[in-house]
Amino acid sequence: MASADLTSKQESRHSRAGGFADAAPHPLTSLLRRLAGRAVAIVTTLLGLLFLTFSMGRLLPADPVLAITGAEVSKEVYDRVYNELGLGQPIWMQFFSYVGKVATGDLGTAATTGQPILTDLMTIFPATIELAIIAMIIGAVIGIPLGVTAAVRRGTIIDHIARIVALAGHSIPIFWTGLMALFLFYAKLKLVGASGRIDVFYEGLVTPMTGFLLIDAALQGQWDVFHNALGHIILPAAILGYYSVAYISRMSRSFMLEQLSQEYIITARAKGLGTRKVVWRHAFRNIRVQLLTILALTFGGLLEGAVLIETVFGWPGLGQYLTRGLQMNDMNVVMGSVLTIGAVFLTINILSDVLYRILDPRTR
Amino acid sequence: MLKQLLTTIALTGALMGAQPAFAASPPNMLVIGTNLTGIRTLDPAQNNARTVSELISNLYDNLVQLSPDDLKTLKPMLATKWEVSADGKIITLTLRDDAVFQSGNKVTAEDAAWSIQRVIKMGQVGSTDVALWGFTPENVEKLVRAKDDHTLEIELPQSVNTDLVLYSLAGSSIGIVDKKTVLSHEANGDFGGAWLSANSAGSGPFSLAQWRPNDVAIFNAQPKYWGGKPAMARVVARHIPESGNLRLQLEAGDVDVGQYVASGDLDALSTNKDMVIDNVPGLGFYYIALNQKDPDLQKPKVREAFQHAFDWKAISGNIMRYTGFPWQSMIPRGMIGAPDEAAAHYDYDPAKAKQLLAEAGYPNGLKKVLNPSGAPTLPFAEALQASARAAGFDLDLVPGEFTPAFRERKFEVLLGNSGARLPDPFAVATQYAFNPDNSDEARLGSYYLWRTGMKVDELNTLIDQSMRERDTEKRTEIFKKMDGIYSGMASPLVIFFQRTDPYVMRANVKGYHGHTTWSTRWHDVTKE
Repeated sequence: MASADLTSKQESRHSRAGGFADAAPHPLTSLLRRLAGRAVAIVTTLLGLLFLTFSMGRLLPADPVLAITGAEVSKEVYDRVYNELGLGQPIWMQFFSYVGKVATGDLGTAATTGQPILTDLMTIFPATIELAIIAMIIGAVIGIPLGVTAAVRRGTIIDHIARIVALAGHSIPIFWTGLMALFLFYAKLKLVGASGRIDVFYEGLVTPMTGFLLIDAALQGQWDVFHNALGHIILPAAILGYYSVAYISRMSRSFMLEQLSQEYIITARAKGLGTRKVVWRHAFRNIRVQLLTILALTFGGLLEGAVLIETVFGWPGLGQYLTRGLQMNDMNVVMGSVLTIGAVFLTINILSDVLYRILDPRTR
Repeated sequence: MLKQLLTTIALTGALMGAQPAFAASPPNMLVIGTNLTGIRTLDPAQNNARTVSELISNLYDNLVQLSPDDLKTLKPMLATKWEVSADGKIITLTLRDDAVFQSGNKVTAEDAAWSIQRVIKMGQVGSTDVALWGFTPENVEKLVRAKDDHTLEIELPQSVNTDLVLYSLAGSSIGIVDKKTVLSHEANGDFGGAWLSANSAGSGPFSLAQWRPNDVAIFNAQPKYWGGKPAMARVVARHIPESGNLRLQLEAGDVDVGQYVASGDLDALSTNKDMVIDNVPGLGFYYIALNQKDPDLQKPKVREAFQHAFDWKAISGNIMRYTGFPWQSMIPRGMIGAPDEAAAHYDYDPAKAKQLLAEAGYPNGLKKVLNPSGAPTLPFAEALQASARAAGFDLDLVPGEFTPAFRERKFEVLLGNSGARLPDPFAVATQYAFNPDNSDEARLGSYYLWRTGMKVDELNTLIDQSMRERDTEKRTEIFKKMDGIYSGMASPLVIFFQRTDPYVMRANVKGYHGHTTWSTRWHDVTKE
């Protein structure tokens, strides 16, 4: 299908170019050109992001030296650390030397952990991704059917429930929900773990391979650890997921409503097709692509929501890492985290773009 | 569709229901819920803050120690005895011969000498206390030396009260490290610092099993510890930054000891019979700092007005209930030279404050910017702002992290708190009353009196004397005199409370005693 499509596109281009084949760029060239343009855009975006973060860091009234030494430090030690961090140089020089190092893959050392940023990120980033993926699954599995059902049964009790869910998700602070959920599911019902990725007596039983604790535990057949880790991730993931349910269901509902008023649906219904077939076979197929974009955006939002939820649940992930970096004015940590989040957003964008092209023939 | 939705919810529920019950911590394991923020290394030479001092004190032994209930009497640890030469210049310590490092190497006087030399040569925050006695990277190798395997000699570069020197040897930064092991991991002349940041090489009752910064630190008992095998096979310090979460885990029995629990949660836990709250006095104060570079605040009557502008009694029963007790002397309670009572020189008296302001030339009151030093002192600053209004002060409260600005003298009025580790009034006096050079260029940010921009030569002389004087009675008199001058001069550091550090424990935990100098040890901890 793709090749046929390509041929027809070339034909149409030929006809537009008045039959001169050499006037039309080769498809591969145009693809490469598009990719090159995209790469330049990505690098520029990341540079801009770094520059903004760096400037903001300099505006904070915190002192990166004290982040390392503590407040009660003698002048000699203070000066030595100050020089080690290169804080005596002009700001633009500090920025460019940082960017230069990043270009060679060196993100620097975290003042607050004493570890290279890359080492830190390799430990903590999987924790956040694991949390966000499970939250995403929960959000999608509940949010999409809820939104679609609310659209189909407009004005019924289900529609009202969906609307209340969406409203609550937008108005209740995630921090408060987290604590209340802990109180109920951990303290009262004893169904889940409270803090961190795993109970302390399971520490060290699983050798980190992928960094995803659930996968590592399953690969090594450590089912006790797997269960325990699942009991720790389920609550923060469910809460994060709930906040995405609100958004996903609202968007699914409005996309679906738009489809249901289309002529082809009215035709299908007139033909006597059952509601289920009309909704899932016809209408849903047409909102898949839009939903994909929404899910991609949601994933980025989940990384953002993880900042607070990770603090409440003592979850050792990127959100907590970034928050602490900001509190302690550990600029390498802040910039490394922002760069990571930026890279994730861009990756998601590109992926959703590619999938969009695959799934929606109109974009080709 | 509805069916699908319900099925999904039911599946999620089943998944959660399938979990095994989440058990409380086992009887031979101590779980400490704390805040591990900013601990970048577990190297004794590179630390002097509260939380990390506790961790290090259980990995490394000191030459001498102070028990948490008696901060005046030095007790043996790796050194079984010590003597001071008649001229007070040389301390000779005799080391025990049954102590081994976790590597199996014997602990020798050479290890002890090298550990002290290492701290001084590295010049990191761990050297803060011990460098006061005049040791430098150039002279330390000559002055701190091993006479033989069990005899360590410390020669003092200047005349110092040797008790002070011994107190500093009890601090966590002077934990004795395994010279051979550490040197085998040295890289780029770092004295093994990079390796020691995430590994241990001590002779303490525990060894480091796992360390993930800002997440968890796990310690295993050392069965061959010279002091006997600890009852706890494992100790876990876990980062739980959210106080509400920590409280729930303490109540559930998943956490045995809680640190940095917020005031509201402490109130709730205080009524729980399964909990014990131990308020450990700290070596520091809560104070108002007044910048003497500000012409208004330079006037003694304005400083005096501040003494009567704060309703400290109103907060001593609530926000300060667990974090401090009323205290207005620069000598901490119970130390030599300290007043017997909470000697209240000043009470909240808005009328008197207004009158003093009028006498100073401000009949319509005074407007200033007030900063907390950081988030923990914000509630305190809010209370000050409210009560000072009636006393004629219009304080514009700007919250944030202002310790750096305080160190740079860029503030007007600041509310802060402090801590120290050396259990002697000299350490606190150095912090609060010492300033040898008041110029901006001197940048003596570790001295609070410099930060406020005041220099009092008589206090400098007395502090210097208190460091050198060996007779306890004479030192007591020196500190009393110092305190008299300080309270008579309307100090720009107006002290209201002495700090306490609350530790919450489950009632079945025995033998866990928070230490004033933060060297809390776990060796004798048991669980019933």
